[in-house]
Amino acid sequence: MTADPLVDVKNVGRTFDVSKPWLNRMIEHLPRQFLAAVTGVSFSIAPRETFALVGESGSGKSTVAKLAVGLIPPSAGDVVIAGVSMNDPARRAERRRLRRRIQMVFQDPYASLNPRCRAADIIAEPIRAFGLFQRRAEVAGQAHELLRLVGLDPADGRKYPHEFSGGQRQRVAIARALASQPDFIVCDEPTSALDVSVQAQILNLMRDLQDRLGLTYLFISHNLAVVRHMARQIGVMYLGRLVEMSPTAELFAAPRHPYTRMLLDAVPDLDMTGNPRKPVEGEVPNPIDPPKGCAFHPRCPYANARCRVERPALLAAGPALVACHAVEEARL
Amino acid sequence: MTRPAGGLAALFDNDLVHSFLHSKVTMVAALVTLAIVLAAAFAPWIAPHDPFDLRQLSLLDSHLPPAWAPDGDRRFLLGTDDQGRDVLSAILYGARISLGVGGLSVALAAALGIVLGLVAGYAGGAVDSLIMRAADVQLTFPAILIALLIDGTMRALSGEARNEETAFWVLVLSIGLSSWVQYARTVRGSTLVEKNKDYVLAARLIGLSPTSILFRHVLPNVMGPVLVIATINFGLAIILEATLSFLGVGLPPTQPSLGTLISIGNKFLFAGEWWIAIFPGATLAGLVLAINLLGDWLRDALNPKLR
Amino acid sequence: MTKTLLSVRNLRIEFPTRRGTLVAVDDVSFDIMPGEVLGVVGESGAGKSLTGTAIIGLIEPPGRIGAGEILLNGERIDDLPSERMRRIRGRRIGMVFQDPLTSLNPLYRIGHQLIETILTHTAMDRTAARRRALALLAEVGIPAPDARIDNYPHQFSGGMRQRVVLALALAANPELIIADEPTTALDVSVQAQIIALLKRLCRDHRTAVMLITHDMGVIAETADRVAVMYAGRIVEIGAVRDVVKSPRHPYTIGLMGSIPKPDVDTPRLTQIPGSMPRLTAMPPGCAFHPRCPQAFAPCAARRPNLKPHGNAEVACWLFEPGAETCG
Repeated sequence: MTADPLVDVKNVGRTFDVSKPWLNRMIEHLPRQFLAAVTGVSFSIAPRETFALVGESGSGKSTVAKLAVGLIPPSAGDVVIAGVSMNDPARRAERRRLRRRIQMVFQDPYASLNPRCRAADIIAEPIRAFGLFQRRAEVAGQAHELLRLVGLDPADGRKYPHEFSGGQRQRVAIARALASQPDFIVCDEPTSALDVSVQAQILNLMRDLQDRLGLTYLFISHNLAVVRHMARQIGVMYLGRLVEMSPTAELFAAPRHPYTRMLLDAVPDLDMTGNPRKPVEGEVPNPIDPPKGCAFHPRCPYANARCRVERPALLAAGPALVACHAVEEARL
Repeated sequence: MTRPAGGLAALFDNDLVHSFLHSKVTMVAALVTLAIVLAAAFAPWIAPHDPFDLRQLSLLDSHLPPAWAPDGDRRFLLGTDDQGRDVLSAILYGARISLGVGGLSVALAAALGIVLGLVAGYAGGAVDSLIMRAADVQLTFPAILIALLIDGTMRALSGEARNEETAFWVLVLSIGLSSWVQYARTVRGSTLVEKNKDYVLAARLIGLSPTSILFRHVLPNVMGPVLVIATINFGLAIILEATLSFLGVGLPPTQPSLGTLISIGNKFLFAGEWWIAIFPGATLAGLVLAINLLGDWLRDALNPKLR
Repeated sequence: MTKTLLSVRNLRIEFPTRRGTLVAVDDVSFDIMPGEVLGVVGESGAGKSLTGTAIIGLIEPPGRIGAGEILLNGERIDDLPSERMRRIRGRRIGMVFQDPLTSLNPLYRIGHQLIETILTHTAMDRTAARRRALALLAEVGIPAPDARIDNYPHQFSGGMRQRVVLALALAANPELIIADEPTTALDVSVQAQIIALLKRLCRDHRTAVMLITHDMGVIAETADRVAVMYAGRIVEIGAVRDVVKSPRHPYTIGLMGSIPKPDVDTPRLTQIPGSMPRLTAMPPGCAFHPRCPQAFAPCAARRPNLKPHGNAEVACWLFEPGAETCG
């Protein structure tokens, strides 16, 4: 990768204080409790590319999404976008200018649009907030243009969110994200709440827009099949850490980490090959109290004594990065 | 589904309007409320007499029963009280004051409660705790006690001399301050839910200030329950004012509200002069009942689950 | 010849509104044999959940069954008085809902809920019921059932809760289980576990399953036959292998094409333009024709019925013999 990455996430971590209120702690003699949602995550995204983060509940992928757009500050590490650190207090003015270029598309099409605003106003809000156009006619015209861009009729701008279907709402959400003319869009499970045929429409639309407008995507999902379709590089997260990071084709051709294999194995077999699948035991443990050593070891068929005490580091294995002792020791 | 053609037709096609038109009880309640409000608003023009004009009053006219009774006088449709005031006119003017106090105090309580609720819900942490603990403390006292407390304090502060003009506003203040908590708690609860919704996150992403987000995005979405509480509180405020006036710590006798009239009439109930207390009482009860029924309908109509 | 377990004939579910009667399920018919897993697949608004709710008699007013019959072992159950339907519910037909969090009462221990269900529907005494509850918990894969039987629902993880819900559904040994999106709220790895569990349990207990879902993958793994629903009608029904590998109805073809697959890299997913019609704006004739790439003359005029074609049944004028000449 010769070009400078547009997005550079450096060793980012985020811990939440989930302690009970002070009064309760006093009375019940409870200690403070912390949830390490994300630890030591690093990746970079080249311009006009898509990087996908895959994981189940508790993996921390949504937290990474919010960290990447600057909605929450990291507890450790840094997020650098277009060369500007998102957390350096000295560069606030630059960060404010940068805000325009970063946007987000959310998962729930029913909660991501203000139910009291018309679609055209929802789309116009970023235009007005960033001062891209001043005159009302220009702003309105731009909003209509964006509606057309996402496949909706400009006349639909007058409708309220509840008058749209789920897929159409997501289109409005995408139009809003495009309104500030961003370079980088974080998509947090944008199609998980949609029917499969609608999902196909939205995914195709997002790819078309990426080609036309030169967008860079960070695509979060729990669905490996969807991610295959969208991303150039994939990172697999488990309990707040990256366990494998690999170019897409490689990940599907030769998954290395046992968790990645398990995820791929869990995808139902639509080709009906009749291959019996052996589902993995157990569930994602409670992130507040993660297992010692490698967080996956209680569920891993290849765990040994070392896995129970020592956390594996992310090491290169071919074109991929894998955090697994078994891979490192070539047991796999 | 064919959409109605014009804008006005669209207004009537609204689900809310439809549920209203389909409930006879609600329509009657609305009519009663409207009738009383209009009558009170236009009291100076439609009242047959001015009960506050001392020149018009004559002790010879006092204690007259309603017009249809044997001793009644057709000039005084509902009879007169011990000072010769026409009960009907007194009711009209009294309703005006009752509605005024009720309406303004609700507006005050709502404004205060909404702002505090929004701030508590959105800011969280110590600010939230502070506001909510203040609310909790206030809730341990009955509204009447709080109203009495504020009332007494204001009187002591302002002195007896200016009592007459300020009584109205002191009453509005005390009733208003005693009932902000309900609004604050409801709005805080709704704010806690809304602030985590993605559209608020989207607004934060484009750099809107918290104030902007609170008033432009969150407030319109938490107003629903507020309207219902306000309607019901309106009735309660009127009753609270009536109680305070009945107890003698509300409005002075020169500006009698419905409560004062009931208080005055109470003394004459056992003497057999029932009309002095019953007619204002019936008006008060009718008004509050109508408002409560409206509030019930509003709550059901605005509840998306019941639609 | 085995007797049909459940027979749904010409079922019609409607909602009277002030703007007229909306038909949510329109003339739907299918059979379920004992021990068979029938998948009912469709997107949101297709009416599949409503069909399941109708069978178990839990349609919320103002919705109602407008026409048709539902027969369980030859007897009609759609017109039963509520008391008799209550006895059938749970005893002969069990139900598994999507969200395990709301299916279990958070205030009662799961042992209590299990035992209560067993006592209601069988003649056992409390001790026997508790033994059976423990056996059920072990069967659904809850580790250390003796310890966990007295836990509350919130003390279980999502997947464990869904296992408890399965145990509840099986408690009275029903002949049929209606499972409405049983795995949608679960993580992908847990989904695979629950699907495997469901298959095993139904095989062991010889229980039939009506599996309602929008996820074709779950159907492919679990079902014997599948019915594809669109806009309140069944457009294709047949053996799972046939429908999934060689779909015939243009909607089924479009649906299968729009599913992204992890082992295939396509530049563009097949997309069906538009969206499912709203109940208030149902197109005349075939409900799918405005979006169908192969629509022709009769599609807008008359609604096609399910006709056998090969091993499956398809409701499409393309497969109606002589349709083109009738125009």
